[in-house]
Amino acid sequence: MEGSYIPDSEPTTRTLLRRLLDTEDPHTPRGRQSTRASARRTPLETPFSMRLRSQTKTTTRRHSHGARSIGRLAHIQTSGRLKEQTPRTLLENILLTAPESSMVVPESALKPVPAPQVVQSPSGESSRGSLELQLPELKPPTTLAPGLLLALGKRKQRLRLSEFQQGVDQELPLSPGPLTEPHGNAGASSLTSSLNLALATPPVPQSVQRPGLARRPPTRRAVDVGAFLQDLQDTSVALALPGDSLRTPVATLPTDTVLEDTQPFSQPLIGRSPNVRHSLPCPSSSAERTVGRRTQSSGPRLQNNSPGRPDQLLVGKAEEVDALAVGFPNTSNSSSGEDGLQPLQDGVGEEAEDVMEESLSMSDEEEAAGAQGSARAEEPKTHKEGTEAEGSWGATEAKELEGPSRDKDTAGRTGSPELTSITLEFQQARQLEFLEPAQPTSTAVLPPEPLSARRPPRARTAGPRLRQDPYKTGLSHYAKLFSFYTKMPMEKAALEMVEKCLDKYFQHLCDDLEVFAAHAGRKTVRPEDLELLLRRQGLVTDQVSLHVLVERHLPLQYRQLLIPCAFSGNTVFPAQ
Amino acid sequence: MALSTTVSQSKRIKRKAPRGFLKRIFKRQKPHLRLESSCDLLVHLNCLLFIRRLAEESRANACKNKCGIIKDQHVLAAAKVILKKSRG
Repeated sequence: MEGSYIPDSEPTTRTLLRRLLDTEDPHTPRGRQSTRASARRTPLETPFSMRLRSQTKTTTRRHSHGARSIGRLAHIQTSGRLKEQTPRTLLENILLTAPESSMVVPESALKPVPAPQVVQSPSGESSRGSLELQLPELKPPTTLAPGLLLALGKRKQRLRLSEFQQGVDQELPLSPGPLTEPHGNAGASSLTSSLNLALATPPVPQSVQRPGLARRPPTRRAVDVGAFLQDLQDTSVALALPGDSLRTPVATLPTDTVLEDTQPFSQPLIGRSPNVRHSLPCPSSSAERTVGRRTQSSGPRLQNNSPGRPDQLLVGKAEEVDALAVGFPNTSNSSSGEDGLQPLQDGVGEEAEDVMEESLSMSDEEEAAGAQGSARAEEPKTHKEGTEAEGSWGATEAKELEGPSRDKDTAGRTGSPELTSITLEFQQARQLEFLEPAQPTSTAVLPPEPLSARRPPRARTAGPRLRQDPYKTGLSHYAKLFSFYTKMPMEKAALEMVEKCLDKYFQHLCDDLEVFAAHAGRKTVRPEDLELLLRRQGLVTDQVSLHVLVERHLPLQYRQLLIPCAFSGNTVFPAQ
Repeated sequence: MALSTTVSQSKRIKRKAPRGFLKRIFKRQKPHLRLESSCDLLVHLNCLLFIRRLAEESRANACKNKCGIIKDQHVLAAAKVILKKSRG
């Protein structure tokens, strides 16, 4: 082969590489997509392999490797592109940058240097794989080199390193002539590439490539503050106006919250907050009631209104209630509704009472704020007391909380314009209803805002509050039992939901008792009716009798009153 | 003696039944009906059993959703079932 081989007394990496480079022609700078340069390879391979053979101890092996590499070259040429950055380039770079004196034991330097080359040539594997095989061996010589390299030129190093990495990734099967590297490659690249070789190619470049990531300062402060403020506003709005948040654009919410905070006792706020807060449950409930009422309206009530009109009114009211949920219109509606409440009330007083009654029953737990509403609530309340409509409580019966009301709402959208005024009044009435429940101090879970708004109405009205307070108190009594029975923590909203369910339950209960008593031809509800009710509910069975239930769940004093027991004097109490 | 309709022993009863409250509710709902004296205790019993069933169902719902807290949607779902059951 070439006769340029010059045996050295000191077979260091440097010398080896020098020999190689001297004998070999420099190649063009590493080209990623260079086509197979078979011609280039062959001359490289042969002298390289020869040099290896000559210098390494395991000449025989290398010879065979060399031969194999040569033979493989033919295949490799067709298969993959020539990899510019090869161990040869690595070694070249090492040569350029490494110090003159061998940093490691010559022998060790010897072996690792030719070893990768040898391995690469025969293996035909990916360069990286072959390089990796040499990792442990290359480590000692290359560890020092990278240090120097880094000290020398980091930029170049990184650039070339990246390039080298790309080349490595592309998996050029290193073959016999991997060392045809241009001299132009700075030592940095070779060193870095060698470094990669030593340290397992993927991680090293990563570490080099990504130091910036670790050092990058977090630049999110500004954004976080802005987002935080926005979140604050959103949450505050959400707390105040849950209904609004769902339906109004975000942009408008902050302004609303600001207004609310600064004017807690303003009418618009008062009028709006309860509507908004209860927009979700109330529309459904009120709509439900309206629907239910429609079925019963024709019967027992509303003498002064035509049968058809209440339906429309109620439906329209339900519609309005939905509009209430939007939030903004509430203020205007409430303000206008208040004005129109008085004149309208006489005309539709009864309906208003019924509406309020129902909404009251449904919204017991709802908090309300608004001074005006309480004042007006007194009048309708008095009316209501006197004209308890039968169907009001049972109106909601057989209706799911959500479903049918929605359908009816859509059906009733075509209300006459007068409906709007009446609906305004109903809105106001509903607001009053909300105000009532807001007044009780005891059980209701009151957010601070409505609580503050509620204080003025509390001072004014005494009648409606009394009515609401004991009812709420009684419901809360059972709600506490609920939380006691579950033995689990509960949300406040869940407690309110329990109270709502209790309210519904009481309605059902009274209706059933009435039916049973009427079936027996009585006007008084007797314990037999209660037992029949319990039996129909499935609580009293053939195995479990009423007395058993009484014994289980009622205190002794009540049991004495309920279960006949024999006493002295041949008496039984209670008398059967 | 035992013929008195009032509670005989101690005046303090644990878990008193809100008899006045129940009577008021019934009167509000059905003013044309009358409720016997011992019936409100049975109504109270009915309420207790209803609440118990509702609580158990809510707890089952919450556990089904792997929640450690009972939320209103659990209660709502439970109420739909229990109210249907206790319609009589």
